[in-house]
Amino acid sequence: MPFRGFTAILLKEFTVVFRDPTALFFMFFPPLVQIIAFGYALDNDVKHMATVVLNEDRTAESRQFLDKFKNTQTFRVVGEARSVEEMSATIRQGRAYVGVQIPPDFTRNLLAGRNAQVQVLIDGSSSTIALQALQTSLGLALRESLLTVMREAGRTEMPVEVRPQMLYNPTMKSANFFVPGVMGLALQIATVLATALSIVRERERGTLENLLVAPLSRSGLMLGKITPYLGISMTMATGIFLVARWVFGIPIRGSVSALFLAAFLYVFALLSVGLLISTWAHNHMQALQMSMALILPSVFFSGFIFPIETMPSIFQWLSTLIPATYFIELMRAIMLRGASIQDYWPNFVVLSGMALGFFAVCVLRFRRKIA
Amino acid sequence: MIQCEGLTKHFGHFTAVDQVSFSVGKGSIFGFLGPNGSGKSTVIRMLCGILQPSDGQARIAGFDVARQSDELKGLIGYMSQKFSLYDELTATENLLFYGRLYDFRGAALRQRMDELIALAHLAPYLNRRAAVLSGGWRQRLAMACALMHKPTVLFLDEPTAGIDPVARRELWDLLFEFSGQGMTLFVTTHYMDEAERCSHVGYIYMSKLIVCGVPDHLKTLPAVNPPGARRLDVTCDHVTVGLQVLRNLPGVRSATVFGQSMHLLVEDSVSEALLTSRLAEVGIQNPDIRPIAASLEDVFVTLTAGQTVNGGAR
Repeated sequence: MPFRGFTAILLKEFTVVFRDPTALFFMFFPPLVQIIAFGYALDNDVKHMATVVLNEDRTAESRQFLDKFKNTQTFRVVGEARSVEEMSATIRQGRAYVGVQIPPDFTRNLLAGRNAQVQVLIDGSSSTIALQALQTSLGLALRESLLTVMREAGRTEMPVEVRPQMLYNPTMKSANFFVPGVMGLALQIATVLATALSIVRERERGTLENLLVAPLSRSGLMLGKITPYLGISMTMATGIFLVARWVFGIPIRGSVSALFLAAFLYVFALLSVGLLISTWAHNHMQALQMSMALILPSVFFSGFIFPIETMPSIFQWLSTLIPATYFIELMRAIMLRGASIQDYWPNFVVLSGMALGFFAVCVLRFRRKIA
Repeated sequence: MIQCEGLTKHFGHFTAVDQVSFSVGKGSIFGFLGPNGSGKSTVIRMLCGILQPSDGQARIAGFDVARQSDELKGLIGYMSQKFSLYDELTATENLLFYGRLYDFRGAALRQRMDELIALAHLAPYLNRRAAVLSGGWRQRLAMACALMHKPTVLFLDEPTAGIDPVARRELWDLLFEFSGQGMTLFVTTHYMDEAERCSHVGYIYMSKLIVCGVPDHLKTLPAVNPPGARRLDVTCDHVTVGLQVLRNLPGVRSATVFGQSMHLLVEDSVSEALLTSRLAEVGIQNPDIRPIAASLEDVFVTLTAGQTVNGGAR
């Protein structure tokens, strides 16, 4: 009889889960902390970076030029250096990321129509910050040069102008990019561990033997183990959606039911992965190590931080095996771009396939062997 | 009821159970003895369908344990080592779980639980979590769970390990009652006094079944009672001093202390008078010397020694 013993296992698991409020709390708490911490901490928008200036020219023009630097909002002047050495030292000591040096002949060269140079020192040890500082200062110089040339040529309009329009994330908020990814990771850790440990616990206590002697079908045992955690995980997913929507103000432009369907398939796949681990692991320690070994690659290869397209092909291939890849892509598509199930049906199909596939493997693998 | 033929289990290169054959009749209490790691639990696990035998076969009530385990599940009950229970569940919840697992529902479930609670006297502890129950109560609860579906064969793996003497006595009273009702019991134990209570015993040593049969019959085996020798009980003062003297006497094959007395296996050439005079030399007066029959312990010790000698010669 398929699913025999399902009700017995299901009711028992529910009782066990709710008997231990501490364990339940620690299932819910870390994902919420993760999403809040990551949502606030992970910020690509570099603004107001500490800058030290060395103005050797001391003219109205040079001060005006420095004001333009400040007005970009990218730089924040934290002090004036009196020498190049002092400026370098400030950067080396980590008190500023950027140093701007205006040489004594800046205004003279500018007014004479010669090449006026400004030196910008950037701390390259943090690539995100360095890149932003580089682009902003280059852009500033280019714009100043252009304005000067235009004035000389008597033109009032830019010869060519690009008018970018940022779709789906007009203010370029990095939370909009990161939070959907964090949702994928936050759900992952709690779910995989929950089921990975649940069968290992029975094995360690010896209760698994009693189950094997009883008229219980493998599918009944597995489904009975998964169902309570499906409920818990979906509650958790709802909480995470609420935090994303109301704490980080991330829009949900697509349909909420598509969002929940994606979450359900994803969580089902992860719980099955956890069960699969528990059919291999002989004790708690092994289950924990295996779970971590599986979870860690998905942090790097799921497109959570680094775009999959820029990875070497072996890692691109690896990313196609990770459920989080499909889920994170779906979250960004549905929440930010308002994509529908039809637009992204391959992702739904892959996630369903993973959920059913992993579950089937668990059921088949869980032969009567415990020694 | 249970028939094993050449039952064997390998784990890699290690042979945990080697060509074990025996049979257990309906309603008998079969005591399965052996030191730790000798293969007792492995035999039970194979009989219960938890482990697949590597070779040989076993049948319970005519069903093959390896191939017809589904038919067998309703017939056998299993109480595992250390009374495995769900610690975070109460006694009632543990019973409820096993009841549902064996397809009891509603009124039938409640009725069966009440029967088991009465049988195991669990009433005062129903709302305690299994984690806080003492060994004896855990054992009763585990037994009630194993009996849920009224099995015709009950396997108990070291049911009395670590529990108090009263609980032990009560368990055996229950086992005799079940046996009287026609249930077949298969019990592993380390205790010789428990072995003496069984209707049949088997002794497994280093993966091989050394001996199997009715205790009274085993005690009269020629290997246990070698011709030209007899067993004596010597009760006297200072038994440990006496033991040193008698052990080194020619013609005394073995000597062990039993409380206030010694058990000796002596050749017929050694007379009671000789023993008395030797004891008198170390100041032990008036020993009480009586002939005795072999105990089960004597049976197992003698046969194990023989096995070791054979093993060494091979």
